[in-house]
Amino acid sequence: MADGPTCPAPVEPYDDPALRSRLAASHVAIVGCGGLGSNAAAMLVRCGVGELTLVDFDVVEESNLNRQLFFRDQLGMPKTIALSDTLLRINPDVTLHIHTECVTAENLETLVEAAAVVIEAADSAEAKEMIVNTALDRLPDTPLVSASGLAGFGSANEVVTELMAEHFYLVGDLKSDVRLGNSLFASRVMVAAAHEAHAAVRILLGYPEA
Amino acid sequence: MTVEIALFAYLADYQPDGLGGRSPRPFELEPGTTIDAVIADLGLPDEPRVVFVNGKHAAEDSLLGDGDRLAIFPPVAGG
Repeated sequence: MADGPTCPAPVEPYDDPALRSRLAASHVAIVGCGGLGSNAAAMLVRCGVGELTLVDFDVVEESNLNRQLFFRDQLGMPKTIALSDTLLRINPDVTLHIHTECVTAENLETLVEAAAVVIEAADSAEAKEMIVNTALDRLPDTPLVSASGLAGFGSANEVVTELMAEHFYLVGDLKSDVRLGNSLFASRVMVAAAHEAHAAVRILLGYPEA
Repeated sequence: MTVEIALFAYLADYQPDGLGGRSPRPFELEPGTTIDAVIADLGLPDEPRVVFVNGKHAAEDSLLGDGDRLAIFPPVAGG
């Protein structure tokens, strides 16, 4: 079991240079670069997070463009490469670690252990289960932000962030499952992505959801 | 021994009292009961899930103890 990071000490809340400095020195890992991960990554870069690890095995497809931060001229590109191109257009100084591979219970710890916060941003329930169980087991002191229940056109106000267990923050309405026939809408997916990104920001600044 | 059990999302329908909801319910269990056995007794489906005991991640073959708080959360698809 690795000695991982724990929640950082709180930064002075009205000291903007200190807040920005903390985020610039922070590293977040995002596992999955689809609707959740691509949008969360852009928000973290815009917030000034200085270092991201991006993990995804997939390539950009036309069906992704309704909610994921990709463009038509990126079709066929690995999502990690396409996303890193976009993030570097937002901030050329951000440090990116790209892993174009399938995350497994065997490689997850190695891929994300350098980060202060890990964001689960997979799509299938099975992948979410594997990532959450593996991360909480192997990196129990590293805050993990996960999302479950963001499909459909239900109220955006039902998507919340809560502290589910020690170092485990859960975003979503917990119930809206794609497999039940719920469509995915960019507006609600991005609400969940923003919750994930903001949960990470608050953890990094020392003000995690309680 | 008494164990508090909370079932989240659609798993709440498997609470024996039929009332649903995520609030924990007290269960009287034999000493030496594992989480696996509780899952089998409740008839939970073989679907993705994450298990916590006393607010910490736990393996499903773990033994439960008196006063433990068991929570089971099922991730659902979408992203």
